[in-house]
Amino acid sequence: MSNEAFAYRSRTERQLLKALVVILTIMLMLPFLWLLLMSFKTNEEVFAFPPRLFFTPTLDNYRGLWTSSFPKSFANSAVVSIASTALALLVGVPGAYALSRASMRSEKPISLMILTSRMAPPIAFTIPYFLAYRWMDLLDTRLGLVIIYLTFNISLVVWLMRSFFDSCPRSLEEAAWIDGASLWQTFVRIVLPIAAPGIAATAILCFLYSWNDFFFALILTRNQAMTAPVAVVNFMNYEGWEWGKIAAGGTMVMLPVLVASVMVRRFLIQGMTAGAVKG
Amino acid sequence: MLAPALALLIAVTLAPTLFLIVTSLTPLDLTKPETFGDFSRPWRNYVLLLEDRRLHGSLWVQAKLTFWTVTFQMLIGLGFALLLNMRSSLLQALRTIYLIPMVLPPIVVAIIWKVLYTPDISPFYQTFQWLGWNVPTIMTDANWALTAIIIADTWQWFPFTMLMVLSALQMMPAEYVEAARVDGASSWQITRYITLPYIKGVLLVAGLFRLIDSIKAFPLIYILTDGGPGTVTEVTNYYSFQQAFNFSFLGYSSAITVLLVALTVVLSWIILRLVGWGRDVE
Repeated sequence: MSNEAFAYRSRTERQLLKALVVILTIMLMLPFLWLLLMSFKTNEEVFAFPPRLFFTPTLDNYRGLWTSSFPKSFANSAVVSIASTALALLVGVPGAYALSRASMRSEKPISLMILTSRMAPPIAFTIPYFLAYRWMDLLDTRLGLVIIYLTFNISLVVWLMRSFFDSCPRSLEEAAWIDGASLWQTFVRIVLPIAAPGIAATAILCFLYSWNDFFFALILTRNQAMTAPVAVVNFMNYEGWEWGKIAAGGTMVMLPVLVASVMVRRFLIQGMTAGAVKG
Repeated sequence: MLAPALALLIAVTLAPTLFLIVTSLTPLDLTKPETFGDFSRPWRNYVLLLEDRRLHGSLWVQAKLTFWTVTFQMLIGLGFALLLNMRSSLLQALRTIYLIPMVLPPIVVAIIWKVLYTPDISPFYQTFQWLGWNVPTIMTDANWALTAIIIADTWQWFPFTMLMVLSALQMMPAEYVEAARVDGASSWQITRYITLPYIKGVLLVAGLFRLIDSIKAFPLIYILTDGGPGTVTEVTNYYSFQQAFNFSFLGYSSAITVLLVALTVVLSWIILRLVGWGRDVE
């Protein structure tokens, strides 16, 4: 549907506007591209003035990462994000379905609890978890991170999947009940296959949030369970400003995120507002 | 089916929040084990909140950061949305690019701007130097440090407003614009009297989301300025982090955090009132 205010403008004006938008977009992405370029530069080239646009790219920074403890942190990030996402889906999807199909009086408090746990500053959870983990010996463990990532993942799953189920027709389920299927049978055989695309998008969003986390990992891990974002920041503190290596680490951390976001671009806004706005 | 999800949600979020409230009533200090579970003067932390100048300063920094980032993100986001709202396959493709800053891990955004703000390696500073301009290092300049954070945060999040407005604009019935067109309205009048009122609600929600998120500002501040110079970029969240994990005053930090959580609950409640309680209202 076209409803643009500019619709009736002349051809030239439209072309000029488009050119303007393209130029603006490129300018806005320059900071991001700069980091990408830097990850292929040697340290001399990083400091070179005037900056050379054409230089011989080197993979040394990436090689340097490979031989450091970075691969371990990267693996930690992957394991923790995937495990927490899987757990949240396992419990959250049936919960969201129930919430969508039942009508109950406690709906408002549940909604508020879900949105608040998405909105609360991470430090609110970090203090109690830090104290509890000290006592339970869960500091610097992957399990500890998996659990604390549930604070936002569960609410994300319940919220997004509920609005997804709300928009799914009930007629198929009702037909299954009439044929004598139990609630769980209906859920597994009828509802889940229909919900598969929604579940996939939700899973990727949960993964994104878990992967991007910095605060929880900064405070709850040291060496063993350190995640990739914390590892990159540690390069800044201890390794005497090896900018190329920092840039390479940053690029590695953002790579999975960029791939995942392109896959779910249509759901992103909806996911970021925890479904409070229909995208 | 609902029970496991609710039980887990209560276990991982509600229970820790109650625990936070409990610790806020103790003078818990990690270096002094005897302070654990000392409820002799439960309101002491909250009385201290009232007298703590540094806390009040951090609230003011928070207010400034929130005001400027939300304002810029709304204005720039709205401007870009109106500009990109053309039927064109090229611009459709460009929209995806605007997702990049939003989805980047916050620490990567912080590193990007750390590079651009570091005079030795920043293309900006090198250009300024070449032009003979003397530009202060804005991360470490007390007058500019907060601006440095605001610029980086705006860069990351204006696409959020932009994409929300764009998706609202796509749902706007074309008849509105055409009817006004027939009546002889100019582009500007259409934008002002038809488009803007139509997207008012979306703008409000986008603003509220950014407002709440700005309370959580952390990675940018941690990496760019560490709350400094002095305390000029120390927002309340950051101050609470310092109290808990640098000074190890977890009890007092809990009290500050309870304050922040209360604020979040109120703001979330407002959002839910505005958009319905997760149900389609139309």
